[in-house]
Parts: sequence; structure tokens; C-alpha cells
Amino acid sequence: MASLTPTLRPLACWKSILRHTRQQKAATRSLTTFRKPKPFTGPIADQVPTPHVNRKLKVLPPPPSVAALYKEPIKDLTEDQIRVLDPTGARTRLFSKTNTEAAKVGDVLLVRLKNGDPFAGVCINIRRRGIDTGILLRNELTRVGVEMWFKIYSPNVEGVEVVQRRAKRARRARLTYMRKPKHDMGSVQSIVAAYQRTRVGARTSNANDEGKKGGKRKVKGKK
Amino acid sequence: MAPKLPTGWVHSPPTFLLPDAFLPLITKRGVKYGWTTAPARGKPARFNQKTAGLPTLSQSPAAALARKDYTLPLRTGALAIKKGMTALYDPETGIRTPCTVLQLDRVQVVAHKTREKHGYFAVQIGSGWKHSSNVTRPLLGHFTGAGVSPKRYLAEFRVKDESGLPQVGQSIGPEWFLEGQFVDARANSRGMGFAGGMKRWGFKGQPASHGNSKTHRAMGSSGASQGSGSRVHPGKKMPGRMGGEQVTVQNAKVLKVDKEKGLVILNGSIAGPKGCVVKIQDAIMKPWPVVPGAVEGVKEKLEATA
Repeated sequence: MASLTPTLRPLACWKSILRHTRQQKAATRSLTTFRKPKPFTGPIADQVPTPHVNRKLKVLPPPPSVAALYKEPIKDLTEDQIRVLDPTGARTRLFSKTNTEAAKVGDVLLVRLKNGDPFAGVCINIRRRGIDTGILLRNELTRVGVEMWFKIYSPNVEGVEVVQRRAKRARRARLTYMRKPKHDMGSVQSIVAAYQRTRVGARTSNANDEGKKGGKRKVKGKK
Repeated sequence: MAPKLPTGWVHSPPTFLLPDAFLPLITKRGVKYGWTTAPARGKPARFNQKTAGLPTLSQSPAAALARKDYTLPLRTGALAIKKGMTALYDPETGIRTPCTVLQLDRVQVVAHKTREKHGYFAVQIGSGWKHSSNVTRPLLGHFTGAGVSPKRYLAEFRVKDESGLPQVGQSIGPEWFLEGQFVDARANSRGMGFAGGMKRWGFKGQPASHGNSKTHRAMGSSGASQGSGSRVHPGKKMPGRMGGEQVTVQNAKVLKVDKEKGLVILNGSIAGPKGCVVKIQDAIMKPWPVVPGAVEGVKEKLEATA
């Protein structure tokens, strides 16, 4: 029994027959449309393909770069701003690392503000970050320890004065241990008041007077 | 068994029975599954017409472009390098504004993407410079064809239509952005490496004491048992690689533009480490800026929509 093709199929299933015929027709057509190579017409030299040459691509030169000229824009920006915010260079000098007369951690500093009371305290941290350079001052107000950060280049800071220098150079960069009761300096108002008394006449603003009064009160309270 | 009748005539009926018109041509070569390069097949005129009462397709490329129409920026953006952060002080008010400094380096238009050829409108922007010996030959040809030097970074910025395509080779400087306008800044965030659940997802961890032993930062349970099918649900937050993915900061204000130094200074922070590539383009959540130096077609539109 070789093939079991049903003999009576042709009476129906025209669809499959047509499909089959279509396939055959396509096959025939693909044979008839087989590509015939073009006969050589010109001289043989023209027909020989040129050997592949790795042609060098034209590379354009880069345009001039401004980024290469200004490689540290943040430094430039900082300098520009410091020139405006600190024209005399006094603030930069007061906190520069190279200046031996500079304010150091452990010194008692007085920050005069454009709007608001001046704040005095012992400096326990100097964070040098260019235009964002800041100092952390610690004081005691109403017997509560108070710490304040000041950005030294801020236009709201009118000036920073060294009230008292530390007797001995601090051997730490950050005097966070001064927060502990054992090392806490307490209020620096008496020191500031004494400092301001020595400088009477130099600067007598209302804010300073208030600070002085406060300091006196503190001293009395302690006694 | 009955003898089998010859059936050859069944499989190939004579040609007079099957005229050519009866047999539609079928394309055999160059046809892949699923789509065809041939022109669209004829369809019965009565069905599937655009106006046959059927809603227009919302999944077509045209519909996608129409959806994007409102949010696609009118003009291209630029590639910049993040140089770091600093602060700007206002000498009058004393207000300090933290800012990110971006630098544009030889930013040029390298190619266009068009609706006809690519399906959408976009501008390919290149930045920096790369030595030609470090560029593959196909890419070198791409740059040479565009008439620009080989670029270190390439990126695409989508635009709404062809009026937002600047000429190939046109350089885009920081003056492309206006002081006071808002931009969207995209960059890859800093990579944190393999991070635990506490750092990556803000899990609370576990107590330090109360009998806890050696599991203080573990993620704890990863799901219920039978209630959730005794399996870990897809998308469960778990430890893994953190960072190093694109982060978009929307509506960053341009504080300052320095053409001489190629700087664009944006308000606040932008994702990524120093030296990373940042894509900046007009903010899509704000009215388009009115740019005096914009191309005519874009300028009118910017003014109309601002």
C-alpha cells in the first residue's frame, strides 16, 4: 500500500487544489525570471573590479574649545564673587590657612550682622569651602547652649571680629568636645563685654550696646 | 482492495480551468513574518474604512505623535558637563542660592531624525571631541558626512516638528538658554553599587536589641506565605544595584549664562557626579521661553505658546 490518496477528493476541496496549483505556478515563474548575467560589452579592463582600497576618511578638525580655556569654572566663579562680596580681602585673610594672624578654632569671635543682633561665641569649627566657607560659633544664652553657623562671605554678615584668642593652639580641627560639660566654656558674654569696653568709641551701635548689657547681666547672674 | 484511480489530474487541473486572473500573485521573496515591504494589500472598500464608524486607532505611530504633541519641546536642547556645585550670593538681598555649574563644550548638531525616515522628529547633538583614531570607521563617516569633527558624546533631543531642526553642523552655545528660563536636566545618577534594603528603599531595618542577633540591617520578610500565594511578588523591593540610572530634574531655573566660558548655571542640584554628561532642554512643564535668537519658525511658535 503505497499511497492512500482518496480518489474521490477532486469533487470537493477546490481551495486546496487551487493553493497547490498556485504554489506550482510560483515555482515556475521563479524559474522563468531567473536573472541572466549581462553579457560583457566593453573592454575587459573596464569589467575588472578595482581592488578594495581603504580610503582614508576626511576628519574635520575640532572647533576651538572654550571649555579647555576655562577648566575650573567654579574656581573662577568663587573668585569673581569674593571680589564683589569681600573687596578688601579682609574676610579671606581672617580665615586663610596661610595667615598666622588668622582666626583659629578656639578663638572667641564676634559676628556683626546686617539685620539682627550680633552673635559672639567660641569658634569650634571652620569649614573652608570657597564661597561657602562658614564658621560654627558656640555660646550660652539663657543658660542654654547655642550654636550658630555663619557663612563668612554672606552679605548679611557685616564683619567678624576676634574677641579673644585661645591661649594655646588647639590641636584639633573641630573642637566638638567643647559641647561636653567638662570642656564647655559656657557663656562668653563677659569676655565680649570686656572686649567692647576696651574699644569704646571705636564703634558704638545700638546693637553692640545691647550685647554689652546682656553680657553684664550674665556676669551678675553668675556671681 | 479496489484499484486506485489515477489522481494526478486532481492536483494540477488543466490551465484552461484556472486562468491567470484566478490565481493571485503571491510575493515569495523579501517577505518576513508579521509585516511586509509590499504596498498595503487591497481591502474591500466596504469595510475598515477610516470613516466606517470605527474609532481611529490609538496605537498607531501617528496617534503616538499626536499624544506627544503637547509636551514635545519646540527646540532642541544641549549636552553639558557637570562641573560641580557652588552658591551665588545676591549682594543686595544677601540671599544665597545653591547652584550647579554646567559647561558646554563644542556642542554641535550632528544629524536629524525625521518623521518620514525615522518616525519622529529629533536632533542628534554631539559634544566634546574625540581623536579620530578612537572612533570606529562607520561613526567617523557619520561625523564626516555631517561636516563636524568626531564627538565624544552623542545624544538625541526630540522636538515637535521640522521647524525645530537646526542646520546640521550648527553649534549650540550657552546663549541657547536664557537667564531665568526653566529647563529639564537629565543625567545618570551616582552609582551606589550593591546596596541593601535600608539604603536603597528606606527600609527601617531591625532593632538593635530585644534579642535580635546579627540581623540589624536585613530587609526582613519578603512577603506573606499562603496569603500571597507562597511566592515573592514581582517588583518586590530588594537589595541590589542602586544609582547609575537616569534621573530627570524638572524645572531647574537657569540662573546665569556665560557665553565666554561656556557656562550654564542652574538652580539647585542635578543628579550625577562631577564630570558627568547632563542633557538640558526647555522644561516641558513651563511655557516655552521666548528666545530672541531662535529660528524664525520656532520663534513664532515660542511666542505664541509662551
